[in-house]
Amino acid sequence: MARADKQACATCGKGVCDGKGVVTFKDGVWHINPVAVQVLGICSALAVTNRLENSLVMGAALIFVTVGSNLFVSLLRNITPRRIRMIAEVAIIATFVIVFDQVLKAYYWEMSKQLGPYVGLIITNCIVMGRAEAFALSNRPMVSMVDGLANGLGYAAVLAIIGFFRELIGTGGLFGHQLLSEAWYTPNQLAVLAPGAFIALGFLIAIFNAISGANREEGSQR
Amino acid sequence: MKIVRDLLDRVEPLFREGGRFRLFRPIYAAGAAILLSPLDRTRAAPHVRDPLDVKRYMSLVIIALLPCMAASVYFFGLRVLAMVLVSYAAGGAVEVLFAIVRKDDVNEGFLVTGLLFPLVLPPSTPFWMVAVGVVFGVLVGKELFGGTGRNLFNPALVGRVFLALAYPRAMSSSWGIPGSGLFGHVTQFSVDAVSGATPLAAAKSGGLVPLWDLFFGSVSGSAGETSAAAVLLGGAFLLLVGVASWRTVAATLGAFAVMTFALHGGSPMMTLWHLLAGGILFGAFFMATDPVSSPLTKAGRWSYGIIIGVAAALIRNLTGYVEGVMFAILLGNVFAPILDEIFVTARVRRLREEG
Repeated sequence: MARADKQACATCGKGVCDGKGVVTFKDGVWHINPVAVQVLGICSALAVTNRLENSLVMGAALIFVTVGSNLFVSLLRNITPRRIRMIAEVAIIATFVIVFDQVLKAYYWEMSKQLGPYVGLIITNCIVMGRAEAFALSNRPMVSMVDGLANGLGYAAVLAIIGFFRELIGTGGLFGHQLLSEAWYTPNQLAVLAPGAFIALGFLIAIFNAISGANREEGSQR
Repeated sequence: MKIVRDLLDRVEPLFREGGRFRLFRPIYAAGAAILLSPLDRTRAAPHVRDPLDVKRYMSLVIIALLPCMAASVYFFGLRVLAMVLVSYAAGGAVEVLFAIVRKDDVNEGFLVTGLLFPLVLPPSTPFWMVAVGVVFGVLVGKELFGGTGRNLFNPALVGRVFLALAYPRAMSSSWGIPGSGLFGHVTQFSVDAVSGATPLAAAKSGGLVPLWDLFFGSVSGSAGETSAAAVLLGGAFLLLVGVASWRTVAATLGAFAVMTFALHGGSPMMTLWHLLAGGILFGAFFMATDPVSSPLTKAGRWSYGIIIGVAAALIRNLTGYVEGVMFAILLGNVFAPILDEIFVTARVRRLREEG
């Protein structure tokens, strides 16, 4: 987390980022995109992205949790004893995760079954914990919410892109509807298998870094 | 020779810095390198007297593959040749593209990959699938790692595994029926594809193809691997000219034989049968010995071969997969660098202790 912390503050000034909502937002979605740049939250990004629908719901879940947890961690930051702050953060995060999980179970049972344990596992997602530690703990509530929203969106966008390509290539359709005719398109079943997720994510990170210039090695040519 | 030289000299300025086709210099360089030996020589000592360079090395492998080529055309028809052409065209395009972007030369290594790849596919593989597979193999298996010499895995096998996982139906259920008689299937283009079984698949359900058919090659299977005789001929040539490491081959086949012998209750007939069936011979001679993705130390080569042989026998006999040679070799590739590291470190330590 140390690196993300440093990068975030390098872009928004001297340590504290109050009043710089736009900078914070751009950072979360683009400059320090949690998946493409920091390579966090990979487990769920690989596991649920075999279908676009799953990816979108998972992205929504993460946005909900990061926004909520960042807000409350920030609100409570001045009365949280430093030594037990991690436990406090986890308790707050877990609350939001359980709320989302229960809603999903109550109204979208099929989707809940599809996502399996991965909604519950958001509690241990490094992105949520990382934002609480690196940002919400030292910033005001509103800008912390912006940070949570931006990071959630950054994660959701990456998942949506991977889900889009994996479902389209792997089944020839989207949202379960056949788009590419079986007559001339043979679904590439590797795309919906686990190795396909690794390959897709690898390509996405490579393309993202080539465009944004993030993670460039020292002394590389461009 | 002179005419070729003159022609090359005449077009050369077009490809120089500032010339009209300067972007495509790698294509010119590759053409010139294939037609003639390079002009730039090392001027200062020390000179290596052995003229074995990458080009010669790869040419020898291609010569060694000719018997397999001939056998597969005989058994499965001219379509195999068309698959080779597709493989060269599609994979070559990726190779040239990367050479242009990197401003580097096209490497001869691709000539072998492009020929090996179609030979490990079922002879009825659709042409577009051949193209997709070889593009993936060259792109992900080689270029993304940094090009020839830096790849961790055998590119042809990366492409093969990609196709096997992506299109399992096309890759495992439809096999061509081999031709027979004086001309076999040489006179026909298309393959008589049927949803038949390879000898190994048939063996899983209890039917054994006669040994002689396996040796000669009139069985269904991947294009280049069916004829054990052709593979042994080419393989012997590779060992004679010293391009393939006999240690790797011996360790692979030896470990495979011992493991199969043990798994089949000590039956020498079954051991021989399994050695001749499927892709173990082809893999041992042409795939496992790839100089880039196999170890360089002698002890490393023995261990690497043993890993491949044991894994191939285990996958073939104890899992749902019918054939395991490609997975086994890729597994061996993973261990290749660490094996070298272990044995080099051990040797350095021993030398240091001795003084």
